[in-house]
Formats: sequence, structure tokens, C-alpha cells
Amino acid sequence: MSNFYITIIHRPEMVPEYIQREAEQGQKEDLARNSVLQESLDIFRTQQQIAHDNNLRTTIQMTYASLFNQEAISVAKEHHEKYGDEIGSTFLGLQCQEFRDRFKSRELAIWLFSMDDKRRIVDEVFRKFQEVFGFYPTSTGSYYMDAELINYIKEKYPMIKVAIATCWEEGPKAYWNANNSWYTLMDGGPWNPWIPSRCNIHCPASDENDDIGIVAIPHLSRDLLAVFDGPGSYYGTHPQNILRGMVYEDREIPYFKNIVDQYRSMAKYNHGYAYNMMFVGPGWMSKNGRWEADYDFLIKSYQDGMAYYGRLKQEDKAIDVTMSQFADIYRQDRPYTRPECTLWKDILYGSKRQQFWYADPWMRFCLDMNQGGAMIDLRPYAAKLVRPCGVGTKYVQDASYPFLVQSLYRAGYFTHYAGEGAVKSCKIGYKGEEIDLCVCRTIASFSENGDTRIVTLDPVTIEFSQFSLQVQSIIRITEGTGEVEIIRRIVDTDDPTADITIDEYITACYGTTEYPEDLTGTQLTLRGAGRSESIDYAYQCREATVENIRLAEALVPQANTRLSMRTNIKDAAGYFREGFAFSPMYTIGIRKTVTGKGELRTWLKIEKAS
Amino acid sequence: MAQGQKGKLNYRCPRCLMREVDMDMLYDREADEYYCLRCSFTGDEQEVLRLNAQFREKYRDRMRRITEF
Ligand SMILES: [Zn+2]
Repeated sequence: MSNFYITIIHRPEMVPEYIQREAEQGQKEDLARNSVLQESLDIFRTQQQIAHDNNLRTTIQMTYASLFNQEAISVAKEHHEKYGDEIGSTFLGLQCQEFRDRFKSRELAIWLFSMDDKRRIVDEVFRKFQEVFGFYPTSTGSYYMDAELINYIKEKYPMIKVAIATCWEEGPKAYWNANNSWYTLMDGGPWNPWIPSRCNIHCPASDENDDIGIVAIPHLSRDLLAVFDGPGSYYGTHPQNILRGMVYEDREIPYFKNIVDQYRSMAKYNHGYAYNMMFVGPGWMSKNGRWEADYDFLIKSYQDGMAYYGRLKQEDKAIDVTMSQFADIYRQDRPYTRPECTLWKDILYGSKRQQFWYADPWMRFCLDMNQGGAMIDLRPYAAKLVRPCGVGTKYVQDASYPFLVQSLYRAGYFTHYAGEGAVKSCKIGYKGEEIDLCVCRTIASFSENGDTRIVTLDPVTIEFSQFSLQVQSIIRITEGTGEVEIIRRIVDTDDPTADITIDEYITACYGTTEYPEDLTGTQLTLRGAGRSESIDYAYQCREATVENIRLAEALVPQANTRLSMRTNIKDAAGYFREGFAFSPMYTIGIRKTVTGKGELRTWLKIEKAS
Repeated sequence: MAQGQKGKLNYRCPRCLMREVDMDMLYDREADEYYCLRCSFTGDEQEVLRLNAQFREKYRDRMRRITEF
């Protein structure tokens, strides 16, 4: 039995973006222009009606601006009574004359205010909400909610139980997509709901003490493959986003249903549970049309999307819940250590590519089956990095959670001669020939054995000049260990006498963007049975190998992370490789020689350094 | 020459779109063409639609309903 939960969220936004468009067309900005207010309200009403026509309940997230509008307030109250919609609050849509007068700011992103302003705004938004409705909301949200902000909210308003807290993989790619004008720099979080850590909103909490006190949901349910290498606002459960990405033909969008169905299929990786959220702001359904689509098409796409959810509900294949209802359900069956897993497949480009996404309180990572199961993204959640954002902090707009590996921002499997890219993979060697599994496309299947999640890849063929062999990769993650076990097994060979090297490695760095960061201070260490080697990173191309390796380790103070590899055998060698300024990477690895068939088993571990 | 305006439907520049940059174009009434402030693209509506159709080709499964997962 599987449960697929959907939350549909609407917000009456009184001054959507197109007021700015009119200003560009020669009109001065006027936050109280009646025609704009009326159009926004009409869109909000239309969205609500489409949901209700399909027998779906919604969460109405009241913007600050809408708390001054009688019509918006009465619609919310009426729909709460009649349809069981939840009345929540959002920090989107702050801007209105009252806000300007009170806070003297044109800032629109709650996470980018100074901490002082965040507190003042939270207090005012909730005060006004309480004044209007006579109670405090239990759900809130924005595009991003930093841990410091949520900690404050929980301290003052403990009834808050759920928040829209990130947009999945909206970082440098979203910024680029918006002609470098959209400051949602927030890569690195989970793609599905989670209970965040008090230290950093991106990290799932590791236990009750670390629990921030809310359930976080991401803004939209996104295509995990397309959005890793493309704009977040093209590929997700937001029909007008899909129009923006132009994934349609003749006004038909099967892609929307394909995303929903793939999210439904996540039940098989997550103990029968799956989730979807839709959250379209009124600015996306402007009467003027948008993204090359006229108003009729904008509306049609929304109707079609909602009709599909409605049909699933009617067929008992979906459960529509409000945000707060969802939070209660989620908490009923969610041990802190339970990971979120997804073997995502391409539903857009016509390839058979699969990527496996994994998140737990220790790490988030992605494996690419197109690259023999190589790890192409790795975020050290165990470090629980405290990284406040907003005015007055060190990072200001950069709210992303740092990576150690992000293959697209750091080249990944490398194709030119000068250096290396970030990736975790394995090389198979024979007499001077060496093949990286990154060049071996394959597919995977998922299984579970007790507390262990297992990704089993179909064997790939390695052709050396004199003979061929078959290698299989198996990745196992046992819940609560903070380790990834990686098995590379030669399952067949044409030459049972050949000495084959299996070389498991990770080439990594750290960062949040496409640009390099200074690795000075990173420490590379090899601990063997007999001796140890250690260096402080200084771009000097140093290398070392230690036989009978116990542990190969990179200590990255910039990300407060200890990244290590170990194996279960005595006769393997460990090595590290320092980079240079044109190739700012470090590599640690473990290698072993087998005759004919055999395997190498290593464990990758992520720990907080201090 | 009068000021450029936003055209109907807010056409984005199809060349910038190819590199996943959303860049609204301006419309020049006298020349009946759209133009991009970033990449120097110019073209009439037909040209924009032609390139947009080309952009969509990368989505080989855009019209395929996939139900097996
Ligand atoms: Zn352009």
C-alpha cells in the first residue's frame, strides 16, 4: 500500500511581478493601483476554483499585502469553511504600501534581510495575521527560509509546524537562467520534505535535539535529472514553469503527468510514501500571457495539471492534504535516520539515463548510471554548517549548502589534459591501460535488505587491447552509519591469469558556485598499518602512497568536514594527490590488484571535522 | 526612431534561450522585428517561432506519455 500526498498552495499576491512590467512600459510604479489588485485577486480566485472543481483542498498562504485586503481575507475565510482549506502565512508577497511605510525597504526576499529586520518582519506579519484571523498560522514559507529565521519563528511562534523552505537546486543555474538577476542561490537541499537541522535548513536533523521543530517542504517537485543541469523553473510540478521551459507541443503537456507519475513511483524507494507539491503564484497566470503562452494556454495548463491530481484522488491514488495536515502525517512515521531515496530516470530527453539521489542526516549524493555509477554530487550534511545568510552576514545571498563534489560546476570526468574534475569513480587497470568507469554507461536497480538500501548496476564490459572483463558496481548504504559502501567486482574475465588493478578514488574540492575556492588548509592523510603520510594542501602537486592502508582521509576545514575512505582488506594501498592552482582538487583513493576475478570494497564516510 | 517596446506575449530571445538564458526582447515597430539587448539577435515573429520550435527538439520525449517507472 502506498500513499501519495499532494499539497496545493495558493497565495493572494496583491502586487505580482507584472506591475513592474507595466512600469517598464512607461507607467510609474504604484503599489495600490486598483486594476492590478483586482486582476491578482481574480487569478487567485480562479486558481482556487480550479482546485475545488477537481475536489482538491488547498493551503491558502496569505501574503502580508493580502492581510490588508478585505476581499482576499473573506475568500480565505469562506474557502476554509466550505472546502477545509488551510489558512497559512507566507513571507512571499511582502511588498505593499503598508510594508514600505513601516520597513522602508524594497527587499522582497525574507532570507536576505538582516537578522534584526527578519525578527521585526516576522513579528509584524504574524501580528497582523492574528489580528485579521484571530489565530496564528501553523504553516509558513518563502522560496528559502534560513535556519536562523526558523529558529526565531519557533521560539516566538511555536505553533508553526511546516514551512516551504527551499527551491531545489536553485542556485547558480537559476541565476544564469534569469540573466544573472534572480538571487535564489540555494543549491544543496533535499528534493522532498524533510525535518531540518537547527544548524542549517538544508540538512535533515539527526535527532530530537537537532530537530528545528518544523517539517520543511521544497517549493515544487522538480525533475531531478533535468534540474541538475538546467533551470529549476523549467522542469517541475508547476505547469507554467513547463511552459517557460517549452516542454510542450500543440498545447499539450504530457510531461507534467510524467513528472507526477515519477514522483508517485518514489513510494517504492521510501517505504510506500510519496509526495508532490504545486505552488503557482498569480503572476504566472497573467491576462497578458507569459512565456510565449497566451492567457488561455496558461489557464489550460493549470486546469490540466489540477485535473490530473483530481483524477488520481478520485481513483484513490492520491491524498490531498493541507500543509499542516501533511506535517502531522509526515512526523507520524519518520525516524530521523531514514533516508530519502530516488532512482530517477530521464523523462525528457529520450535517453535511458538514470540518476540515484540519496539524502540523510549525514550526506546528500547523486550517482549517475550514465557514468558507471559515479558520484557526481556530494554534500556533507554531517558537518551541519552554520551559514547564516542575509544582510550583515558573511555570505549575504549565497544560501547554498557547500558541496565536496559537484561534477557540473567542477568538470567531473575530465576531457582535457590540464588537471582533474570533481567526481567519485573507479579505474580498472591492466599493464599500463586504464579505463575509468565514468565512460561505461549502464543502468541500475534498487533493493532493500533490512536497514540497507542497495543500488545494483548492470555489469559493464571493459575492453583492454588483449582481452575483456566485466565489472559490476554495487552501492550499499546502511541506515544510520554515515557511510556509503562501494563494491567493484570483476564478475567475468577472458583472462583468469591477468593481474588487474581496481582503483577506487574521489577527486573533490569544496564550494557553492561554479568558481573555485581556496583549498589552503585542507589536510590529506594516509594511515597505514606501518606508516602514515600527511600534507597540508599548498598546490604543490605532491603525491604519496601507503601500503596496507587503513584510512585515506581529506580534512576540509572550509566545510568542517572529514571525508574518508577505508577498506576491509589488509593488502590494499592508499594514496592521495594534491592538485595545483589550475586544477584545484584533491584526490584520495584506495587500490588493489586482483588476479582474474575479485573485488574491492571501500567505505566512504562523511563526518563533522570539529 | 521611437523607443523599443515589449512585444506581444513577451517573446524571449530564442538564441539566448538556446543557452538557457531567459532574456525578454524588445520590439521595433518600424522595422517589425524583435531584438535582444544581450546577444544581438534580430528577427521577426516567424523567425522567433522557428527557433523556438528548434529549441523544443531537444526534448525528444515532450509528447510521450510515460507511465512505467
Ligand atoms: Zn539574445
